[in-house]
Amino acid sequence: MIKLTYESRRQLGYRFMMAPALLLMAAFIVFPAFYAFSLSLTDVALLGFAAQESSFVGLRNFSRLFGDPLFWNSLKVTLIFVIGSAVIGQFVLGFLSALALQRPVRYKPIFNAIICLPNAVPEMVVGFLWISMFASGEYGTLNRFVAWFGVDPQQWLYTFPLLSIIIVNTWRGIAFAMILLTSGLAAIPKDIYEAARVDGATDTQVFWRITVPMMMPTIFLYMFISTVTTFAIFGLVYTLSRGGPANSTEILGIYIYNQSFTAFQLGYGAAVAVVSLVVSMILGIIYVKALKVEV
Amino acid sequence: MVAVVRSSSEDVTVTHHASQRRAYLTLVLISLFCMMPFFWVVLAAFDPKASQFLQIPQGVTLDHFKNIFANESGMRWVLNSVVIVGSATILTLIFAGFGGYALSRTQAWWKRPLLYGIILVRIVPPPALIVPVYKVMLFLNDWINGLINQFTADVEQQQMLSRMFSFIDGYLGLILIHCAMQLPLAIWIMKTFFDAIPKDYEEAAALDGASQWQTVRHVLIPLALPGFAAAGLFAFINAWGDFLMPLMFTSSPELQTLPLGMFRAFLRVDAIDYGFLTALAVIYTLPAVIAFAFARKFLTQTFSGGVKG
Repeated sequence: MIKLTYESRRQLGYRFMMAPALLLMAAFIVFPAFYAFSLSLTDVALLGFAAQESSFVGLRNFSRLFGDPLFWNSLKVTLIFVIGSAVIGQFVLGFLSALALQRPVRYKPIFNAIICLPNAVPEMVVGFLWISMFASGEYGTLNRFVAWFGVDPQQWLYTFPLLSIIIVNTWRGIAFAMILLTSGLAAIPKDIYEAARVDGATDTQVFWRITVPMMMPTIFLYMFISTVTTFAIFGLVYTLSRGGPANSTEILGIYIYNQSFTAFQLGYGAAVAVVSLVVSMILGIIYVKALKVEV
Repeated sequence: MVAVVRSSSEDVTVTHHASQRRAYLTLVLISLFCMMPFFWVVLAAFDPKASQFLQIPQGVTLDHFKNIFANESGMRWVLNSVVIVGSATILTLIFAGFGGYALSRTQAWWKRPLLYGIILVRIVPPPALIVPVYKVMLFLNDWINGLINQFTADVEQQQMLSRMFSFIDGYLGLILIHCAMQLPLAIWIMKTFFDAIPKDYEEAAALDGASQWQTVRHVLIPLALPGFAAAGLFAFINAWGDFLMPLMFTSSPELQTLPLGMFRAFLRVDAIDYGFLTALAVIYTLPAVIAFAFARKFLTQTFSGGVKG
């Protein structure tokens, strides 16, 4: 029997400790991600003949994909959704809350808790809450609210579907932006502000010349994380609109689901998934390279 | 000279007050926006005449909450969620504990690639996996049901075992897939916490004659407790709120968890019991809110992995 040294035994031990987690992630995330590529080259279906006997079709799914207006629509909807809710909505409101909470205001923990509350709510409940908010007719909460401003009752989820889901996702994500940006603001040394004040800088100047440039790394980190997570959203939109009406809220995740499990075209669904995987991996690699994440 | 100084200090207080007022205004408006959707669910849950609309309750009743315990399906959804998400969280903690420790301590060649790999795995959007994961689950499902059929010929037993261990429409499958999805973040958190525990502590314990197990039990686990708390809370919150996995892998009513059960009940437009559903929504939301309150202070620490809790 080979005698192992203390160190090599330890090294072997680390591998054993790593194994269960690696196995699970490999089976349910890494392998499926690669498997998506191979499935996307077949005509596999959920039901019928192609479910048993799928055949290799080369890039046919992709050529169909790039000629499919619904796919381009889905890509466009996803882009608007990500920019509207993560890049603009959550960021602006989160930054405003973070800046306001920097000031010596009272009831800070209460404001903080209220803004964090939406982030803790399960996706299904978010959909449930906002369906009531958006309820049509004059008794709908939002309709009663806008009636104060003389606006007629609307069918929010039908007339402004994409705007509606952007509002909901903004609502949900303010907390995340606020927390991250608050930690960024706290890291800016106070004496820079004092020096600027002594030199007679105005609030606006201080904000654009000091706060924003000093916050750039945090803002970059926020943009990356929120883009990636918003890109992966499914349940929130599915419970609100299931991609409708008329595909107007069909973000990529929903499009994949609908193609695979409503239209039963797994191969085609996998091709859409490949596009979404490639996009997120590019984002991820840029991030890892740009930040040189410490490991 | 004196006058000039005074007027400029007044200027400062004036702008100070103005920006202070702006801060309050911002916070009040954003808070109202954040609170607005909650009024309905909280009021309707106690309203004997709950409807889809926000209204002043005619009275206060606990009937909706009692209904959940009386109504078989409501209680079953709660229990299924607790069992599935609870087991997935515990399993995640065990695997992430070992994995995070190994990743923190090892200097082997695979350390760096694995850490970068975990960041990338974390970025994979779950909806992109639905087709291939479904295929994987289908394969595992056939395999395990084959085993079950070999194990016993009794149909009733087969059904029971199949419910427990199936990958599609069974507890085991949902537990494992939730666990896999939560592992990348959990490992990352555990690794960060183990990094902060000096190796000397373990070596000192070993020198004092502690066995490997004693070192783990009395030195490592107590020191890493905040890490386990953070990892466990995030795993719980994410799995508890997840909608996609139950949607894909459950079909029988006996196995439904809260998100799916509620969603399907809500789709029956003609017969929605708003009192029942809002009470259930309150019960479904509370554990997540409580967990989030505890997890909040860990949130900033988990960012370095490019991951959102």
